[in-house]
Amino acid sequence: MNLKEKLTILADSAKYDASCSSSGSKNRQNKIGNTNVAGICHSFSSDGRCISLLKILMTNCCIFDCKYCLNRRSNSIKRACFTPEEVCELVINFYRRNYIEGLFLSSGIIKSPDYTMNLMIEAISLLRNKYHFGGYIHAKAIPGASEALLKRLGNLVDRLSANVELPTETGLKLLAPNKDNEKVSKIMNYVKNNKSRRFVPAGQSTQMIIGATRESDLDIMNKSENMYNSYHLKRVFYSAYIPVNSDKMLPTIKKPPLVRENRLYQADWLLRFYNFKVNDILDKDNPNFNLLLDPKADWALRHLNEFPKEINKASYNDLLKIPGIGITSAKRIVSSRRYFKITFNDLSKMGIVLKRAKYFITCDGKYFTDINFFKKSFIERNLVLEDKVKDDTKKIEQLVLFNE
Amino acid sequence: MNREEFIYLYDGSFTNLLNLCILLIKKRIIPLNIKSEEYQPNLLEEVIKLDCTETINVEEFVRLFSKRIFKTIYYLFISNDINKELIIYYFLIHSLKYKDKIYYMRNLKSVAKALKIEKYVGRENHKFKGFLRFKELENNVLYAEINPENNILFILSKHFETRLANEYFIIKDVGRKILSVYDKKNIYIVSEDEFLPITNLSTNEKFIQDLWKSFYKTIGIKERKNNRCRMNFMPKKYWKYIIEVSDEK
Repeated sequence: MNLKEKLTILADSAKYDASCSSSGSKNRQNKIGNTNVAGICHSFSSDGRCISLLKILMTNCCIFDCKYCLNRRSNSIKRACFTPEEVCELVINFYRRNYIEGLFLSSGIIKSPDYTMNLMIEAISLLRNKYHFGGYIHAKAIPGASEALLKRLGNLVDRLSANVELPTETGLKLLAPNKDNEKVSKIMNYVKNNKSRRFVPAGQSTQMIIGATRESDLDIMNKSENMYNSYHLKRVFYSAYIPVNSDKMLPTIKKPPLVRENRLYQADWLLRFYNFKVNDILDKDNPNFNLLLDPKADWALRHLNEFPKEINKASYNDLLKIPGIGITSAKRIVSSRRYFKITFNDLSKMGIVLKRAKYFITCDGKYFTDINFFKKSFIERNLVLEDKVKDDTKKIEQLVLFNE
Repeated sequence: MNREEFIYLYDGSFTNLLNLCILLIKKRIIPLNIKSEEYQPNLLEEVIKLDCTETINVEEFVRLFSKRIFKTIYYLFISNDINKELIIYYFLIHSLKYKDKIYYMRNLKSVAKALKIEKYVGRENHKFKGFLRFKELENNVLYAEINPENNILFILSKHFETRLANEYFIIKDVGRKILSVYDKKNIYIVSEDEFLPITNLSTNEKFIQDLWKSFYKTIGIKERKNNRCRMNFMPKKYWKYIIEVSDEK
């Protein structure tokens, strides 16, 4: 089998891993390559996802038989395995030409977890020590591998991750009978507790498949919140379920739940950067996200009594709760208003997008239109319409004014 | 300050522009405009060149203002905005008054404009850090072509200098006909006519490009195909030099 064929097989098997970030590592410098704190996207694939790392499996041979997975033992697909030299050759050649920011190496489980991890360590340590590669490396930890190997791998890479795959243990039992939560938790705990500065400097992350089992968004977000709190994860990735196998255990769906996936990411951001708690945005009576509105706008409409907020007075935390205002905007407002009173006109000059925010704020006591319009029905309709006809804002405003 | 009806000329270099601006501020002159000496005035415009003998260098400038302000001014200078000189002048006037607090004063029109341009230049530079593609030449030198809107060649080359410290590389700004050359020690900016023609590609090059293209095709998930999203992140204007998409229609 030639290198191109191997690459095609082992990239094809790796493509369902959502993570591609190359950010957050300390600045490192070696003979070839460095890491950039901000992360760099080098290309975008036909599905619009960023490509910043060479995302491949060491091998797609696997002793496991997880129902949802393309590489499960019982599938008759072409199998391949990279040699460590081949991995290095690809990374160095791609990196020199600026195709990639680094490597994302995962693997099917060949022979045993320890055997697989050893293979990965061999490739990565060759890359770091013989080729003196200083770029970004993200490796998947193989559940069940020994702590000694985990330590070795963690000292070579920027980020480690172990996938929980499904939000609940019951889901996991159903679809991935060879996996168990405990092994993944063990990895996460170990990574969290290893305080050495050279160990996994960009932190750990994980991934969940969305829509293959019956969990609600509330279950998923609770799981995420729980993991962020207990393991200091940098990221949880959500991957809309795409049927690659047919199995009576698996749901039959026509299209992957991409909008739902998007809502989960938005809510995830609210948890990590906007000081929201899962309880704020979802509860037992509303266990799933509104697919028409983003979680923050949805929350704001349910708490309209807290709005409109005065831009010149609201605290930083309160500013963050305004739909359409992000961290940069909130910081900019807080630092600027010490020097002048902010008007709507100033907000535009400050580069703050008012499209969504304007419904929820006052500037120096003024609302963007007649304050009598400040009603749930008016705002909700405008927000939903804006999302539907993004390009033609004028038309919508006219339309809405007519309806009132 | 009195408003004068002249367009002031500088020699096109960054330091000369800085010195002219400082001189104008000292003399309390508000120029009608500031242009590089290649500027062709129309019949109604009067141009004038001042003698900037009393000059300050970059270190003194940084001490007078700040590193952050220096960076903003430099990014403005390499931008393609037609009024960049005048924006620099007004930004400097405000900087004298507010120092680094100027970054909070976006209610001032010229400050808002300046920071917008700075961001635009920074963003383009960041895009090219990702989208630039090197090709390997016969003599092992890495060669890339870019077509940026702003004159980012030098700051972009600085990024690759740290990243590929042990490589020889050449980056060509096709539109401006200038090249940056890195010889494992320094970066030199040269114009196209001072430069020897580029040699042939290395024997390995086609093979590696081919591998990359097949990786690119494979990594997209067809059930999630979303061309609009791809275009948002990677607009068509960059495609010409991105080898994995350049032959796509």
